[in-house]
Amino acid sequence: MIVKETACKECGVIVNIPKKINFSQYRCPRCNALLYRRGQPFSYIITMAVTALLLFVPLTFLPILDLDIMGLQSSSTLFEALWMVYKDGFYFIAFVAMMTGLLIPVIMLILLLFILVPLKHGYRPEKVSLYYRLYEKMSDWGMAEVYLISIIVSMVKLHGMGTLHIGLGFYMFIFFFITFYITTVWFNPDDIWLDDAVDN
Amino acid sequence: MQWITDIEAGKQLCLHCRKLHPLSVHRCDRCGSEVHQRIPHSIAITWSLAIAAIIFLIPANLLPMMVVKSIAGEDAGTIMDGVIYFLEHGEAGIGIVIFAASIFVPFFKLTVLLYLLLNIHLNRSHRAKFGLKLYRIIHFIGKWSMLDIFVVALMVGLVQFKNLATIVTGPAAIAFMLAVVMTMFATEHFDPRLLFDTELKKRKHKNESNEGNTHV
Repeated sequence: MIVKETACKECGVIVNIPKKINFSQYRCPRCNALLYRRGQPFSYIITMAVTALLLFVPLTFLPILDLDIMGLQSSSTLFEALWMVYKDGFYFIAFVAMMTGLLIPVIMLILLLFILVPLKHGYRPEKVSLYYRLYEKMSDWGMAEVYLISIIVSMVKLHGMGTLHIGLGFYMFIFFFITFYITTVWFNPDDIWLDDAVDN
Repeated sequence: MQWITDIEAGKQLCLHCRKLHPLSVHRCDRCGSEVHQRIPHSIAITWSLAIAAIIFLIPANLLPMMVVKSIAGEDAGTIMDGVIYFLEHGEAGIGIVIFAASIFVPFFKLTVLLYLLLNIHLNRSHRAKFGLKLYRIIHFIGKWSMLDIFVVALMVGLVQFKNLATIVTGPAAIAFMLAVVMTMFATEHFDPRLLFDTELKKRKHKNESNEGNTHV
């Protein structure tokens, strides 16, 4: 049996993962850290990533919430809310929230397409290691789900102030997050380094 | 069972693409990132970021998170004020969510980080597995403390009714966000493998003293 030697990233123990794995995941024998998870075919991941990106487009202009106080109306999109924080002078907050809540998930999807589309078409992109390194660095900082839950919290906070209507943008954001999440779960980084990755 | 770690085997792992290298390599030939056996200056960086985060948490909890300006006047509320407001108005669920995300989680994360650092300094190897469990928890819940920042942004974005009612971002938001970001960086720079290395250090120490005894 061919064996791939690696080390556990969390406890440092040397482990040998059988190369022809027919189980879906492999955990560290000492600390139970997830060391290997089988990925889906690249074509599935590409489809899901494109779906997520398409769902993101309407988010830029669809309102997530409408608030009605005594006949006065106010609505906001995901970007407009952060734009108001920027206008209040809190540039750093607006920047970090914009990056983590919205842009990092999108950049991650684009990087994934940069890596996988050429591999799917039979050649390894020149900068694959750079793209992957960026993807890996960003993966801890994507916070779309936190933004999503914060919308629900603000709904509860605001419902005493006036009449609240949930906009289409909110539902779009839920679907965007679901497709984004599925994309990242399906992608197994180990697959892009395999010798036969180009035929995958 | 005796485990062989990468230090004993003289190997180092690329943390980005998980390729195992000999010690002579400094840059991963597969993904191009720098390779170190352990994250360099892990303990010093984690300490300094954790201390900085603790300092920023003080203004974050004392200053107002957002200011509601309405005909009735100005109302500046801290994080705790928000939690109390919801508990008093029968929305206990949402009060607990905000309390958990904005007050409990940041303090819990920093306490765990300090506990892990002390475990390393005191060479408490029998706590390594428990420490790793705690580390995984704080790594997982790390981003959820950003919840309040997004809530403030949404409230500010939505409640813009000129003279009737406006919500403005409060000064605590920036301190809170810095505390959260620094805690996340601290967690990222902490190398959980150091928890397990303490055992190695002990074993080495034991062997050395045994050898010393036989020679005498």
